[in-house]
Amino acid sequence: MTKDVMMPQESMHTVQSYEQELEQLRSLINKMGGMVERQVAQAITAVVEHDEVAALDAPEMDPHVDELERQTEALVIRLLALRAPMAGDLREVVAALKMSGDLERIGDCAASIARRAMRNELLSCPISLTGLHSMGRLVQENLRRTIDAMDQRDPELARIVWQSDTAVDELYVSLFRELVTYMMEDPRNIGPCTHLLFIAKNLERIGDHATNISERVYYSVTGSILPIIRPRGGTFD
Amino acid sequence: MSAQKVQAGATDGWQRGGAQAVRRRIVERLVNVACSIATVVVLFLLFSILWTLVTRGAAGLSLSTFLHSTAAPGSGGGLANAIVGSCEQTLLAALLGTPVGMLTGIYLSEFSHDGKIVSFVRFVSDMMLSVPSILVGLFVYLVVVEPAGHFSGMAGTLALAILFIPIVVRTTEDMLHLVPRAMREAAYALGAPGWRVIVSICLRAARGGIMTGILLALARISGETAPLLFTSLGNLNWSTNLNAPMASLPVTIYQYAGSAYDDWVQMAWTGALLITVAVLATNIFARWWLSRNGTASS
Amino acid sequence: MNTVLMDNRPAQAQMAPAIAIRNLDFWYGENHALRGISLDFPTRQVTGMIGPSGCGKSTLLRILNRMYDLYPGQRAMGEVLFDGRNILSPGIDVNVLRSRIGMVFQKPTPFPMSIYDNIAFGMRLHERLSRAEMDQRVENVLRRVALWGEVKDRLNASAAALSGGQQQRLCIARTIATRPEIILLDEPTSALDPISTARIEELLDELKQEFSIAIVTHNLQQAARCADRVAFFYMGELVEVDTADKMFTAPHEKRTQDYITGRFG
Repeated sequence: MTKDVMMPQESMHTVQSYEQELEQLRSLINKMGGMVERQVAQAITAVVEHDEVAALDAPEMDPHVDELERQTEALVIRLLALRAPMAGDLREVVAALKMSGDLERIGDCAASIARRAMRNELLSCPISLTGLHSMGRLVQENLRRTIDAMDQRDPELARIVWQSDTAVDELYVSLFRELVTYMMEDPRNIGPCTHLLFIAKNLERIGDHATNISERVYYSVTGSILPIIRPRGGTFD
Repeated sequence: MSAQKVQAGATDGWQRGGAQAVRRRIVERLVNVACSIATVVVLFLLFSILWTLVTRGAAGLSLSTFLHSTAAPGSGGGLANAIVGSCEQTLLAALLGTPVGMLTGIYLSEFSHDGKIVSFVRFVSDMMLSVPSILVGLFVYLVVVEPAGHFSGMAGTLALAILFIPIVVRTTEDMLHLVPRAMREAAYALGAPGWRVIVSICLRAARGGIMTGILLALARISGETAPLLFTSLGNLNWSTNLNAPMASLPVTIYQYAGSAYDDWVQMAWTGALLITVAVLATNIFARWWLSRNGTASS
Repeated sequence: MNTVLMDNRPAQAQMAPAIAIRNLDFWYGENHALRGISLDFPTRQVTGMIGPSGCGKSTLLRILNRMYDLYPGQRAMGEVLFDGRNILSPGIDVNVLRSRIGMVFQKPTPFPMSIYDNIAFGMRLHERLSRAEMDQRVENVLRRVALWGEVKDRLNASAAALSGGQQQRLCIARTIATRPEIILLDEPTSALDPISTARIEELLDELKQEFSIAIVTHNLQQAARCADRVAFFYMGELVEVDTADKMFTAPHEKRTQDYITGRFG
């Protein structure tokens, strides 16, 4: 809590156990964020470097992430029922509930990417993975910054991440075109390319969820909502 | 308590305190006993007074007590003139004193932001409450009897009223203070003017208590002798004339009890019994009234 | 800042406020209890006033019906505009004012008289009604506060015999019987159990169709449930006023945020 510029929170709750429960909620979400971040990193490593160990990691962590989501939900319901949070607290608690959902979905996407990474079609595929690699790096970076914004309750960082998802969308569209071209060139590419398409789609989904989390962080900290229409990059027309 | 004792207590919580607890129990027992003894003494005194009064007084009680006026020793007679005189003077004093006392009480309670005047009036009223009653008698003697040149029932009534007023002032003020501020404010908040709030809300809420105060004041003055000695003097004959000396039970008792004649002494006991019964009845009635109407109700 | 937040109430902005306070200051003797308050009470809406004890919210309420007149040494300066006049000016007939701006208190205060007379008391002060009209009005207001069914067979019984919740509804009935335009409520449910409280809150919701309501409460949930607009007072100042939605989800001021989330030590 060092960078709270918009709404300093140095004052503590009169009821200390309430403060502790909010603290517990924050640490649950942070733990989840860290775990999901690692899942995504491992999944991308698995795809790009054909790393077998990394490929096993993401799916294995999935149940733990699910468990954390369940704990978060239980704690949020408990807080809502017993503490009746208001104003900033209310926003934070509701944001935590929604963010845990997004994080869990990110974990699912990462697991899905990792499961495809070790398929034979991909391992023996002649197609260059450079595009996918850079998209993965970008998504990973965005996710890292989102989670930083979440940890530090930094609305400005959240807003920057929220805007930079445009680049991910653009990369996805160009990757899509590229893969479609490969498939048209040689039908034998259809197998691996489909898998790559799904991986790219999952990366794009991860980017979207990260954007959602940024929106939650921004609202939770400032109390105002980012516009519904986000600058979008890359269209299919 | 030393740390050691606390630790010892921790082994068995019910032994906590040790010797101190024992001493506490003994003191409690002693206080209980002392209070009970004192109560018994008071009750004994009260009942022995009542018993003496009833045994001595009832002997002289007959229909003629109420029908005949006082007469010379040995010739029978009753207390009719004294009873009527007492009733007349007491009730008139109450009639005179109630409005004055109540209005003053209302002033003290409701216009309390007049600060200095109010505390002065309250001080005077409280002084009057503790002035010896014989002083009141002397005062009325100087102010009324001497200028008029003769004793009179009116003067007696006035003396009793002076004793009556401060009691009513006190009870009225106290009872009005018991009316919650919120109730007054609620009445004002409906747009009621001040007098309306006092009459319709405050007095209505306090009327049980004020009524009780009036009855108790009545009981108090009906037994007064001293203020009547210099004012209405007493009258051996039947008289309801306020401008002439008037008989009353306490004065008659005072005169008869000190006399050398057995039948007069007997009559004094009877008179004392009558007063006591009347006062007791008033008290009991007042208490019953208060318990029924004391709190705010319709 | 955001127009998306859910405010689906009909726009009342065009309607003139029932009461408009401008630069109001108030003193208890030397104690400057309210400083420079400017606040509107919108017509036929519930305005909630919250803040820690001693913040001046009850004081403000008691200015609106000139209740402070009863106590020497209390004085107000500024403007409180109601129906075209400044109610603080000396020319105002406070009894008429109080019949137009009714008040309900923290503790139920039934008068020491029958249920019927409790309600008739205020009416008799300001109107000359026939017995039949009076009966009709008494029945009407008792029905409005949902008390008729419970008391119709004992209108002549003492009001003191009613339960706390019933007494408070009787007090509200008594207030609306004088046909005020505004009702002030000073913590009206703080002495009541949750069910009686819920009934009063439900009643407020219905009454605001007809009356403008100002309610002081220590219960934030109650302010959130009942009020359309909420004003937060702190140390004699109006810190913030906004719609209840905004105040309880995203207040603007840090002091409001701290108070609402329970961060005042």
